[in-house]
Amino acid sequence: MNEEKEVEEQSKPLVLEKLEEHYADALLAQDETRGTVVIVVRKEQVYAVLEYLKTDSELAYTFLVDVTAVDNSQMESELMQFDYARFMVVYQLYSFQGQCRVRVRVPVHENDLNIPSVTALWKGANWLERETYDMFGINFEGHPDLSRILMPDDFEGHPLRKDYPLRGRGERERFNFDKQNA
Amino acid sequence: MGLDFVGQDADQTDGNIITTTIDKVVNWGRKNSLWPMPFGTACCAIEMMATLASKFDLSRFGSEAIRFSPRQSDLLIVSGRISIKMMPVLKRIYDQMPDPKWVISMGACASCGGVFDTYTLIQGVDQFIPVDVYIPGCPPRPEDLIDAVLQVQQKISSGASPKGVEIVV
Repeated sequence: MNEEKEVEEQSKPLVLEKLEEHYADALLAQDETRGTVVIVVRKEQVYAVLEYLKTDSELAYTFLVDVTAVDNSQMESELMQFDYARFMVVYQLYSFQGQCRVRVRVPVHENDLNIPSVTALWKGANWLERETYDMFGINFEGHPDLSRILMPDDFEGHPLRKDYPLRGRGERERFNFDKQNA
Repeated sequence: MGLDFVGQDADQTDGNIITTTIDKVVNWGRKNSLWPMPFGTACCAIEMMATLASKFDLSRFGSEAIRFSPRQSDLLIVSGRISIKMMPVLKRIYDQMPDPKWVISMGACASCGGVFDTYTLIQGVDQFIPVDVYIPGCPPRPEDLIDAVLQVQQKISSGASPKGVEIVV
Protein backbone atom coordinates (compact mmCIF):
# COMPACT_ATOMS: atom_id res chain seq x y z
CA MET A 1 0.00 0.00 0.00
CA ASN A 2 2.74 2.42 0.91
CA GLU A 3 4.47 1.86 -2.36
CA GLU A 4 1.28 2.63 -4.28
CA LYS A 5 0.86 5.87 -2.40
CA GLU A 6 4.36 6.88 -3.25
CA VAL A 7 3.74 6.23 -6.92
CA GLU A 8 0.62 8.40 -6.74
CA GLU A 9 2.50 11.25 -5.16
CA GLN A 10 5.24 11.03 -7.70
CA SER A 11 2.78 11.29 -10.56
CA LYS A 12 1.14 14.37 -9.12
CA PRO A 13 0.38 16.66 -12.06
CA LEU A 14 2.73 19.55 -12.62
CA VAL A 15 -0.13 22.04 -12.64
CA LEU A 16 -1.12 21.12 -9.08
CA GLU A 17 2.45 21.31 -7.86
CA LYS A 18 2.97 24.74 -9.29
CA LEU A 19 -0.37 26.08 -8.15
CA GLU A 20 0.21 24.84 -4.61
CA GLU A 21 3.50 26.64 -4.69
CA HIS A 22 2.23 29.97 -6.00
CA TYR A 23 -1.51 30.11 -5.28
CA ALA A 24 -2.04 27.85 -2.27
CA ASP A 25 -4.41 30.34 -0.66
CA ALA A 26 -6.59 30.48 -3.79
CA LEU A 27 -7.23 26.75 -3.98
CA LEU A 28 -10.41 25.58 -2.25
CA ALA A 29 -10.30 22.00 -3.49
CA GLN A 30 -8.56 19.83 -6.03
CA ASP A 31 -9.43 16.59 -7.72
CA GLU A 32 -8.62 14.53 -10.74
CA THR A 33 -11.29 12.96 -12.90
CA ARG A 34 -10.68 10.96 -16.07
CA GLY A 35 -7.23 12.39 -16.49
CA THR A 36 -8.35 15.99 -16.07
CA VAL A 37 -7.15 18.04 -13.13
CA VAL A 38 -10.07 19.83 -11.47
CA ILE A 39 -9.38 22.73 -9.17
CA VAL A 40 -11.79 24.95 -7.26
CA VAL A 41 -10.55 28.51 -6.98
CA ARG A 42 -11.64 31.51 -4.93
CA LYS A 43 -13.44 34.13 -6.99
CA GLU A 44 -11.12 36.91 -5.83
CA GLN A 45 -8.09 35.18 -7.32
CA VAL A 46 -9.57 33.50 -10.39
CA TYR A 47 -8.19 36.04 -12.83
CA ALA A 48 -4.69 35.75 -11.41
CA VAL A 49 -4.82 31.95 -11.45
CA LEU A 50 -6.08 31.81 -15.04
CA GLU A 51 -3.49 34.32 -16.16
CA TYR A 52 -0.81 32.24 -14.46
CA LEU A 53 -2.05 29.03 -16.10
CA LYS A 54 -1.97 30.71 -19.49
CA THR A 55 1.32 32.58 -19.28
CA ASP A 56 3.52 30.20 -17.31
CA SER A 57 6.02 28.77 -19.79
CA GLU A 58 5.92 25.25 -18.34
CA LEU A 59 2.12 24.98 -18.10
CA ALA A 60 1.03 27.10 -21.10
CA TYR A 61 -2.72 26.45 -20.95
CA THR A 62 -3.15 28.77 -23.90
CA PHE A 63 -6.49 27.46 -25.21
CA LEU A 64 -9.72 28.39 -23.46
CA VAL A 65 -12.01 25.55 -24.52
CA ASP A 66 -15.17 26.63 -22.75
CA VAL A 67 -16.69 28.89 -20.15
CA THR A 68 -19.96 27.81 -18.60
CA ALA A 69 -21.70 27.55 -15.26
CA VAL A 70 -23.59 25.04 -13.13
CA ASP A 71 -26.61 25.81 -10.99
CA ASN A 72 -26.17 23.71 -7.83
CA SER A 73 -29.30 25.00 -6.10
CA GLN A 74 -30.79 21.49 -5.98
CA MET A 75 -27.50 19.72 -5.27
CA GLU A 76 -27.16 19.75 -1.49
CA SER A 77 -23.81 17.94 -1.41
CA GLU A 78 -22.17 20.52 -3.66
CA LEU A 79 -23.77 23.43 -1.82
CA MET A 80 -22.49 22.27 1.57
CA GLN A 81 -18.98 21.85 0.28
CA PHE A 82 -18.57 25.43 -0.91
CA ASP A 83 -20.32 27.67 1.60
CA TYR A 84 -23.73 27.43 -0.13
CA ALA A 85 -22.59 29.15 -3.29
CA ARG A 86 -25.41 28.57 -5.75
CA PHE A 87 -23.43 28.79 -8.98
CA MET A 88 -20.19 27.25 -10.09
CA VAL A 89 -18.54 28.99 -13.04
CA VAL A 90 -16.41 26.52 -14.98
CA TYR A 91 -13.40 27.24 -17.21
CA GLN A 92 -11.99 24.45 -19.36
CA LEU A 93 -8.39 24.96 -20.45
CA TYR A 94 -6.15 22.99 -22.76
CA SER A 95 -2.39 23.07 -23.11
CA PHE A 96 -1.08 22.22 -26.57
CA GLN A 97 2.41 22.06 -25.09
CA GLY A 98 1.61 19.55 -22.37
CA GLN A 99 -1.35 18.03 -24.25
CA CYS A 100 -3.40 18.07 -21.08
CA ARG A 101 -6.49 19.74 -19.74
CA VAL A 102 -7.42 21.51 -16.55
CA ARG A 103 -10.86 22.49 -15.28
CA VAL A 104 -11.11 25.56 -13.09
CA ARG A 105 -14.28 25.91 -11.04
CA VAL A 106 -15.28 29.04 -9.18
CA PRO A 107 -18.10 29.18 -6.60
CA VAL A 108 -20.34 32.23 -7.07
CA HIS A 109 -22.96 33.27 -4.54
CA GLU A 110 -26.40 34.29 -5.72
CA ASN A 111 -26.27 37.64 -3.90
CA ASP A 112 -23.01 38.56 -5.63
CA LEU A 113 -23.01 37.37 -9.23
CA ASN A 114 -20.00 39.40 -10.29
CA ILE A 115 -16.89 37.67 -11.56
CA PRO A 116 -13.99 39.18 -13.51
CA SER A 117 -14.13 38.73 -17.27
CA VAL A 118 -11.24 36.92 -18.94
CA THR A 119 -11.76 38.55 -22.34
CA ALA A 120 -8.45 40.36 -21.82
CA LEU A 121 -6.69 36.98 -21.66
CA TRP A 122 -8.66 35.15 -24.34
CA LYS A 123 -10.66 37.01 -26.98
CA GLY A 124 -12.66 33.83 -27.46
CA ALA A 125 -14.10 34.25 -24.00
CA ASN A 126 -16.33 37.03 -25.32
CA TRP A 127 -19.21 34.91 -26.63
CA LEU A 128 -18.72 32.16 -24.03
CA GLU A 129 -19.22 34.69 -21.25
CA ARG A 130 -22.19 36.20 -23.02
CA GLU A 131 -23.79 32.75 -23.21
CA THR A 132 -23.12 32.12 -19.52
CA TYR A 133 -24.64 35.52 -18.72
CA ASP A 134 -27.67 34.75 -20.91
CA MET A 135 -28.33 31.31 -19.44
CA PHE A 136 -27.35 31.82 -15.78
CA GLY A 137 -27.20 35.58 -15.17
CA ILE A 138 -23.55 35.58 -14.12
CA ASN A 139 -22.21 39.14 -14.43
CA PHE A 140 -18.75 39.21 -16.00
CA GLU A 141 -17.15 42.47 -14.93
CA GLY A 142 -15.05 44.16 -17.59
CA HIS A 143 -16.72 42.37 -20.51
CA PRO A 144 -16.85 44.66 -23.59
CA ASP A 145 -20.51 43.89 -24.42
CA LEU A 146 -22.34 41.69 -21.95
CA SER A 147 -25.63 41.22 -23.81
CA ARG A 148 -27.79 38.19 -24.54
CA ILE A 149 -26.48 35.91 -27.26
CA LEU A 150 -29.03 33.07 -27.56
CA MET A 151 -32.32 34.38 -26.25
CA PRO A 152 -34.14 37.41 -27.76
CA ASP A 153 -33.03 40.76 -26.34
CA ASP A 154 -36.35 41.36 -24.60
CA PHE A 155 -36.33 37.95 -22.89
CA GLU A 156 -36.71 37.99 -19.13
CA GLY A 157 -34.95 35.57 -16.82
CA HIS A 158 -32.12 33.11 -17.24
CA PRO A 159 -33.47 29.80 -18.54
CA LEU A 160 -30.74 27.38 -17.49
CA ARG A 161 -31.27 28.20 -13.82
CA LYS A 162 -32.90 25.26 -12.10
CA ASP A 163 -35.86 27.34 -10.90
CA TYR A 164 -36.76 28.32 -14.46
CA PRO A 165 -39.76 26.22 -15.60
CA LEU A 166 -39.04 23.94 -18.57
CA ARG A 167 -42.10 25.13 -20.48
CA GLY A 168 -41.24 28.74 -19.72
CA ARG A 169 -43.28 31.50 -18.17
CA GLY A 170 -45.63 31.98 -21.10
CA GLU A 171 -43.11 33.32 -23.61
CA ARG A 172 -44.52 30.97 -26.25
CA GLU A 173 -48.05 32.27 -25.78
CA ARG A 174 -47.64 36.02 -25.28
CA PHE A 175 -45.62 36.50 -28.36
CA ASN A 176 -45.30 40.04 -29.64
CA PHE A 177 -44.34 40.40 -33.30
CA ASP A 178 -44.47 44.18 -33.34
CA LYS A 179 -42.12 44.47 -30.40
CA GLN A 180 -39.58 42.07 -31.90
CA ASN A 181 -39.79 43.46 -35.41
CA ALA A 182 -39.31 47.03 -34.25
CA MET B 1 -51.49 17.27 -69.36
CA GLY B 2 -53.71 17.51 -66.35
CA LEU B 3 -55.79 20.35 -67.71
CA ASP B 4 -59.45 19.60 -67.32
CA PHE B 5 -60.94 21.13 -70.47
CA VAL B 6 -64.57 22.01 -70.64
CA GLY B 7 -66.94 22.47 -73.55
CA GLN B 8 -64.93 20.44 -75.96
CA ASP B 9 -66.98 19.70 -79.01
CA ALA B 10 -65.08 17.74 -81.59
CA ASP B 11 -67.92 17.74 -84.13
CA GLN B 12 -68.27 21.52 -84.34
CA THR B 13 -64.61 22.54 -84.09
CA ASP B 14 -62.99 19.66 -85.83
CA GLY B 15 -60.86 19.19 -82.68
CA ASN B 16 -58.84 22.35 -83.32
CA ILE B 17 -60.42 24.64 -80.75
CA ILE B 18 -60.83 24.00 -77.06
CA THR B 19 -62.69 26.15 -74.60
CA THR B 20 -61.95 26.48 -70.90
CA THR B 21 -62.04 29.07 -68.11
CA ILE B 22 -59.33 31.56 -67.17
CA ASP B 23 -59.22 30.21 -63.61
CA LYS B 24 -58.56 26.70 -64.79
CA VAL B 25 -55.71 27.71 -67.08
CA VAL B 26 -54.12 29.96 -64.45
CA ASN B 27 -54.39 27.32 -61.77
CA TRP B 28 -52.94 24.75 -64.14
CA GLY B 29 -49.93 26.99 -64.61
CA ARG B 30 -49.56 27.73 -60.91
CA LYS B 31 -49.87 24.12 -59.94
CA ASN B 32 -47.10 22.93 -62.24
CA SER B 33 -44.62 25.68 -61.47
CA LEU B 34 -44.58 26.04 -57.68
CA TRP B 35 -41.45 27.90 -56.65
CA PRO B 36 -40.61 26.92 -53.09
CA MET B 37 -39.06 29.20 -50.50
CA PRO B 38 -37.11 26.87 -48.21
CA PHE B 39 -37.08 27.73 -44.52
CA GLY B 40 -34.83 24.96 -43.26
CA THR B 41 -33.77 25.19 -39.64
CA ALA B 42 -33.09 21.58 -38.67
CA CYS B 43 -32.80 17.99 -39.84
CA CYS B 44 -36.01 18.23 -41.90
CA ALA B 45 -34.05 20.57 -44.17
CA ILE B 46 -31.64 17.73 -44.92
CA GLU B 47 -34.57 15.64 -46.13
CA MET B 48 -35.78 18.63 -48.12
CA MET B 49 -32.38 18.84 -49.82
CA ALA B 50 -32.57 15.13 -50.61
CA THR B 51 -36.01 15.68 -52.11
CA LEU B 52 -34.60 18.33 -54.42
CA ALA B 53 -31.55 16.30 -55.40
CA SER B 54 -31.37 13.86 -58.25
CA LYS B 55 -32.53 10.70 -56.45
CA PHE B 56 -35.98 11.99 -55.54
CA ASP B 57 -35.96 14.90 -57.98
CA LEU B 58 -38.75 17.28 -57.10
CA SER B 59 -38.34 18.84 -60.54
CA ARG B 60 -40.47 16.00 -61.89
CA PHE B 61 -43.36 17.90 -60.30
CA GLY B 62 -42.26 21.36 -61.40
CA SER B 63 -41.05 22.53 -58.00
CA GLU B 64 -37.30 22.45 -58.36
CA ALA B 65 -36.84 26.20 -58.79
CA ILE B 66 -35.89 26.95 -55.18
CA ARG B 67 -36.01 30.70 -54.56
CA PHE B 68 -34.09 32.13 -51.64
CA SER B 69 -35.91 35.40 -52.21
CA PRO B 70 -39.43 35.29 -50.77
CA ARG B 71 -40.58 37.80 -53.38
CA GLN B 72 -40.08 35.26 -56.13
CA SER B 73 -41.69 32.26 -54.46
CA ASP B 74 -45.19 31.03 -53.79
CA LEU B 75 -44.65 27.95 -51.60
CA LEU B 76 -43.13 28.27 -48.14
CA ILE B 77 -41.67 25.01 -46.80
CA VAL B 78 -41.11 25.35 -43.04
CA SER B 79 -38.78 22.48 -42.23
CA GLY B 80 -37.43 22.38 -38.71
CA ARG B 81 -37.71 23.82 -35.24
CA ILE B 82 -38.86 27.44 -34.97
CA SER B 83 -37.78 29.23 -31.80
CA ILE B 84 -39.38 32.36 -30.38
CA LYS B 85 -36.40 34.30 -31.73
CA MET B 86 -36.82 32.84 -35.24
CA MET B 87 -40.60 33.23 -35.48
CA PRO B 88 -40.53 36.97 -36.34
CA VAL B 89 -38.07 36.15 -39.16
CA LEU B 90 -40.36 33.44 -40.52
CA LYS B 91 -43.38 35.72 -40.23
CA ARG B 92 -41.59 38.49 -42.10
CA ILE B 93 -40.56 36.12 -44.89
CA TYR B 94 -44.13 34.86 -45.15
CA ASP B 95 -45.41 38.45 -45.33
CA GLN B 96 -42.95 39.26 -48.12
CA MET B 97 -44.19 36.46 -50.37
CA PRO B 98 -46.65 37.63 -53.02
CA ASP B 99 -50.18 36.21 -53.07
CA PRO B 100 -51.30 33.58 -53.73
CA LYS B 101 -48.98 31.64 -51.46
CA TRP B 102 -49.08 28.24 -49.85
CA VAL B 103 -47.36 26.90 -46.73
CA ILE B 104 -46.14 23.39 -45.99
CA SER B 105 -45.34 22.67 -42.35
CA MET B 106 -42.79 19.88 -42.62
CA GLY B 107 -42.20 17.52 -39.73
CA ALA B 108 -43.27 17.28 -36.10
CA CYS B 109 -41.33 20.32 -34.84
CA ALA B 110 -42.78 22.83 -37.28
CA SER B 111 -46.27 21.37 -36.89
CA CYS B 112 -46.49 21.04 -33.09
CA GLY B 113 -43.10 21.56 -31.46
CA GLY B 114 -42.23 17.87 -31.63
CA VAL B 115 -40.31 16.55 -28.66
CA PHE B 116 -39.13 20.07 -27.78
CA ASP B 117 -41.86 21.13 -25.36
CA THR B 118 -39.62 23.87 -23.95
CA TYR B 119 -39.66 27.56 -23.12
CA THR B 120 -38.03 28.62 -26.36
CA LEU B 121 -39.81 26.63 -29.04
CA ILE B 122 -42.96 27.61 -30.94
CA GLN B 123 -45.48 24.79 -30.48
CA GLY B 124 -46.65 24.75 -34.09
CA VAL B 125 -46.10 27.54 -36.63
CA ASP B 126 -49.81 27.49 -37.46
CA GLN B 127 -50.36 29.65 -34.38
CA PHE B 128 -48.81 32.53 -36.30
CA ILE B 129 -48.94 31.77 -40.04
CA PRO B 130 -51.62 29.85 -41.95
CA VAL B 131 -50.53 26.34 -42.92
CA ASP B 132 -52.03 24.51 -45.92
CA VAL B 133 -50.44 21.07 -45.62
CA TYR B 134 -48.85 19.38 -42.62
CA ILE B 135 -46.33 16.56 -42.94
CA PRO B 136 -45.96 14.19 -39.98
CA GLY B 137 -42.66 12.49 -39.23
CA CYS B 138 -39.38 13.13 -37.49
CA PRO B 139 -37.99 13.81 -39.99
CA PRO B 140 -40.41 12.88 -42.81
CA ARG B 141 -38.99 10.98 -45.75
CA PRO B 142 -38.56 12.76 -49.11
CA GLU B 143 -41.59 10.84 -50.42
CA ASP B 144 -43.68 12.55 -47.73
CA LEU B 145 -42.56 15.98 -48.89
CA ILE B 146 -43.31 15.06 -52.50
CA ASP B 147 -46.76 13.91 -51.38
CA ALA B 148 -47.29 17.24 -49.62
CA VAL B 149 -46.32 19.14 -52.77
CA LEU B 150 -48.78 17.02 -54.73
CA GLN B 151 -51.46 17.81 -52.15
CA VAL B 152 -50.78 21.51 -52.62
CA GLN B 153 -51.06 20.97 -56.37
CA GLN B 154 -54.39 19.23 -55.83
CA LYS B 155 -55.63 22.16 -53.75
CA ILE B 156 -54.59 24.60 -56.47
CA SER B 157 -56.22 22.69 -59.30
CA SER B 158 -59.42 22.29 -57.29
CA GLY B 159 -59.63 26.07 -57.19
CA ALA B 160 -59.49 26.27 -53.39
CA SER B 161 -57.98 29.39 -51.83
CA PRO B 162 -54.78 29.11 -49.85
CA LYS B 163 -55.33 29.21 -46.08
CA GLY B 164 -53.78 32.62 -45.80
CA VAL B 165 -55.82 34.35 -48.48
CA GLU B 166 -59.50 35.22 -48.37
CA ILE B 167 -60.18 35.54 -52.08
CA VAL B 168 -58.13 34.50 -55.08
CA VAL B 169 -59.03 36.35 -58.27
